[in-house]
Amino acid sequence: MILYDYILSASCYKVRLMAALLGIKLDLVAVDFHPGRAHKSAAFRDLNPAGSIPVLVDGDLVLTESTAMLVYLAQIAGPQWLGEASPQSAARVQNWLAFSGRLNSSLGLARLHDMLHFPADITACRTAGHLCLRELEAHLTQVRLEGRIFLEGTAPSIADIACFPNVALAPDGGVELRDYPSVRLWQRAVRSLPQFIEMPGIHRLHDLKPAPHSGAAA
Amino acid sequence: MTNWKASGLSKDLPPANVMHADWQGVDLAVWRSASGRLSAWVDRCPHRGMRLSHGFVRGETLACIYHGWTYGVTGACTHIPAHPDMTPPATITATRFEVTERGGVIWIAAKDDPTAPPDIAGFQPLRSLTVQVGEQALLQALAADAPGLTEAEGGLRGTVQIAGLDTQICLMLQPKAQETTLHILCGAGAGPAQVSRWAESLRRQIEDRSAP
Amino acid sequence: MIPQAVLDQWYPVAMTSLVGPWPGRETQLLGRPIMVFKTQSGAVSVQTAQGQAVAVTLAYGHVWACLGTPAQDLFALPEAAQPGRRLVDCGVVRVKCSPLRAVENFLDIAHFPFVHTDVLGAEPHTEVGRYEVQIRDDVDEVWATKVHFYQPQAAKSAAGGIVTEYMYRVAAPTAAVLYKTCPNRTNEWDVIGIFVQPLAEDLCDVYPYMALFDDVTPQADLIHFQQMIFLQDRSILENQIPRLLPLDPGMEIPTQADLTSVAYRRWLKRKGLTYGAQVVAA
Ligand code: FES
Ligand SMILES: [Fe+2]
Repeated sequence: MILYDYILSASCYKVRLMAALLGIKLDLVAVDFHPGRAHKSAAFRDLNPAGSIPVLVDGDLVLTESTAMLVYLAQIAGPQWLGEASPQSAARVQNWLAFSGRLNSSLGLARLHDMLHFPADITACRTAGHLCLRELEAHLTQVRLEGRIFLEGTAPSIADIACFPNVALAPDGGVELRDYPSVRLWQRAVRSLPQFIEMPGIHRLHDLKPAPHSGAAA
Repeated sequence: MTNWKASGLSKDLPPANVMHADWQGVDLAVWRSASGRLSAWVDRCPHRGMRLSHGFVRGETLACIYHGWTYGVTGACTHIPAHPDMTPPATITATRFEVTERGGVIWIAAKDDPTAPPDIAGFQPLRSLTVQVGEQALLQALAADAPGLTEAEGGLRGTVQIAGLDTQICLMLQPKAQETTLHILCGAGAGPAQVSRWAESLRRQIEDRSAP
Repeated sequence: MIPQAVLDQWYPVAMTSLVGPWPGRETQLLGRPIMVFKTQSGAVSVQTAQGQAVAVTLAYGHVWACLGTPAQDLFALPEAAQPGRRLVDCGVVRVKCSPLRAVENFLDIAHFPFVHTDVLGAEPHTEVGRYEVQIRDDVDEVWATKVHFYQPQAAKSAAGGIVTEYMYRVAAPTAAVLYKTCPNRTNEWDVIGIFVQPLAEDLCDVYPYMALFDDVTPQADLIHFQQMIFLQDRSILENQIPRLLPLDPGMEIPTQADLTSVAYRRWLKRKGLTYGAQVVAA
């Protein structure tokens, strides 16, 4: 399975993260998104006319939407990640996948603006981002009252993986997460999953490993 | 008058976690050790100024994410990874604030305060929520929208109609520059999920009205 | 008032390959709006908002400009002309930090295990041994040599962990270059640079740059590797307090591992290069 990938893209990271959690090995093809704009090249648009990344290719299957890639990876290697079987649960997972698109066009665009000079109405992006974060915080507050931590059901799902990257990277775009305690604890739960991988901007949770020295016992 | 300021909820800071808090405009790193001890320090590593709230808790220490300098609960630096065999000089310390917990709320003061933080027995901590209006404007709006709440030490208390039920509410106010964080606790009446939704709705109304 | 010594320095303002016709890249230097564009004859020009052309030099894949009278030629980087090296422009990343903090971070090794975990460093290999630092008066540069550090994946082409040797060089107030063990050629150094454009005292555009011996790795992979490294640093740089680099001792606590940073700060202070710096402890 080939992933056309950009190391700094939150959407590409969704797919890399999902694959890592599922133990799927991806063949990564680095696309020179910045500064080369290789995703807009004629050759790349022969693969994906939209000129966007990521692109996932598995045999005849070509996917150009990261949320669809999450569904595909979970279908082949971990159906439990698709949420519970009820119609309500399946629909709510879809709701979060669509919501992750809103995160991308608000927090994600703010980040590309602040970091890579993308043109954007930065105030509007950040305001829309905070609105999304409030919705997430409200939901996660509710979830925690029920003794859970993930977005849907009792286990992590593709909903969490779809939403996590742009939320965790929000400070890159000048959106602080300080006022969202439940979002902070949810992120920690995602980052603590076995086989979790980072991307630049998300540091290793060094506390998951014991200190190699004695100073921590002090 | 107590100097303790409500700065967060205990349940939002489990063991082996660190978070940012604002104390009267001062940025703090508030962390809880693995055994549960709470500390509040200026959010700045003495080494090269990195925010300690980005650090990580191992056992009874907080380490800075930048170079891993490690500090014990007294604030003293206990380990410098670049010089693992060196005992750090006692002069290297984080700047401490006083911190305590009462009623499920984290209270912070600049120096030890002989008074106790407000007594909020009978209320369950629910959530913290930030409203984009200053403290005075918020108090005025609450007087109009929730007249059953009256000023009590550290904030407001009283009865509010939520989902058709008389509900006991306690709001601890944490004023910030252009906004105010509400630490919401609830007593008898509507369930916590309903109170949470009521708070969301109240915030929307107040912010809509104050929007230019 | 910006000190004259600051105005008389060279600063990077664009990647040469991306400069287009008027108005070209509209950006700023030391807080002043500038335009970097190609003239009809194909020459690269840099103008202030008042339409005044400023001194320009093209080198190492980038456009360098000086708002005052250049105090000296742009620093020499002979490796950029060495046959067999691949020159890689790694793009430009904006960071809300002092340009001097960005350079200082580039000179720092002790953060590798915590910030570039499992790539440039990993616990328990955290020790920074003694190394040599000097302010070289002949070339007016800061140099650190004989720096050794254990690295799990020192370069894109590295197969496993090695002890890497580094030399660091501050070649201009906001440009630094490092020389590190080349995984593919034992008698050569890989060259990696960081060129920082001071937009304001607390805002900069950072251009990572590489001149490597590596015939195998695709260009995009090399760029991704370097962007990965630099973006791991970005959230650190945006969260250091104070935003400006303190030049006076007392505000921060250096140890032996920080000798390069100490020399850099001393050099800046001596030369009056205080843009992006805090001179009196707040
Ligand atoms: S800044 Fe905290 S360890 Fe260096
Ligand atoms: Fe770094």
